[in-house]
Amino acid sequence: MKSVPEILQEIRPEFDFAASNDFINDGMLDSFDMMTLVSVLDKNYGISIQGTDIVPENFKNLQTIEALLRQSGAKP
Amino acid sequence: MSRVQSAGEVLEAIQKVKAGATAFCTNFFPVQSRLESWVAHRELMAELRDCAAFFLRKDRDFAHLYFCAANPSALGRELGQVPAIATDKLATDLIGPEPSLAELLRLTEQCGFRRYSRLVRLARTASAVTPPTVQAPDGIELAVEGDAPEILGLIERSFDRFADQLPTLYEIEAALAARQIFIIKQKGEIAALLFFETQGLTSTIRYWLVASHFNSRGFGSALIRHYFLSQSAVRRFILWVTATNENTIQKYQHYGYAPDGLIDHVLVNEPAKT
Repeated sequence: MKSVPEILQEIRPEFDFAASNDFINDGMLDSFDMMTLVSVLDKNYGISIQGTDIVPENFKNLQTIEALLRQSGAKP
Repeated sequence: MSRVQSAGEVLEAIQKVKAGATAFCTNFFPVQSRLESWVAHRELMAELRDCAAFFLRKDRDFAHLYFCAANPSALGRELGQVPAIATDKLATDLIGPEPSLAELLRLTEQCGFRRYSRLVRLARTASAVTPPTVQAPDGIELAVEGDAPEILGLIERSFDRFADQLPTLYEIEAALAARQIFIIKQKGEIAALLFFETQGLTSTIRYWLVASHFNSRGFGSALIRHYFLSQSAVRRFILWVTATNENTIQKYQHYGYAPDGLIDHVLVNEPAKT
């Protein structure tokens, strides 16, 4: 199973996600990237992220994405 | 349709649709600041239906149609019931990787829309090699407030109102304030311009044009080189271009851009075709 940083790096290899605490404001993820990320996370963790959770606040940084995964039932 | 009074109203409508979603689908990806601006300028109308919400944004003599729906079948069922489809000039965009758009294309076409244009997104990483610099013509400058009407006129004459998301005068004024339009003037006339938006590490070219009677003087290449140099902190450059515009795509490829897999199908309804 891939880690969140590995998945992010695959989607946007040009960015150093470890160096940012706000992927949206830093221009590293846009709306389309968020939808791609949801699809990859669903497949990778065997979950289904709810539509109501696909909001920028949940994709702001590694901590918020990991919190979203826990909330969606992903096992560590 | 009723006029939207606040950005919160839009988000609430989207949340309502998402709450019952089994296969949520949308073409509405508004940045908060842009959404607030549309509301403040009284450009946005909304219609809430069963498992779907529709938004119309006024633009010149037509409106952009945005939707969100709990699943594609709800979209197909409810879209056909929106009265404006039969009476108003509408354009809508379906955005995503090409294979993911087939069902939405079929549904919107069943509801009276016809394919109008197809755009591809091009992307360039900052590490892409920029061709060797040639001597740039003098005179690249940041456009100022007084240039706004001339910039708007040039863009309106050079681009397609349905497909190219033309800016309003207030958007141009905001871009000027943000120092995001470079121009070259010749005898007081704007000969070429490059209008961009930078958000953190990503920068988007919105419009890059040379007025027809100033072609072949190197103004376009001077502007884009200056743009790359001015955005030294940017790691990812993107833009949308009409898929059939091979000359322009070749120009962008020359500067290191390549298709990144996202497609925008632009569709218009019958009233917009007349």
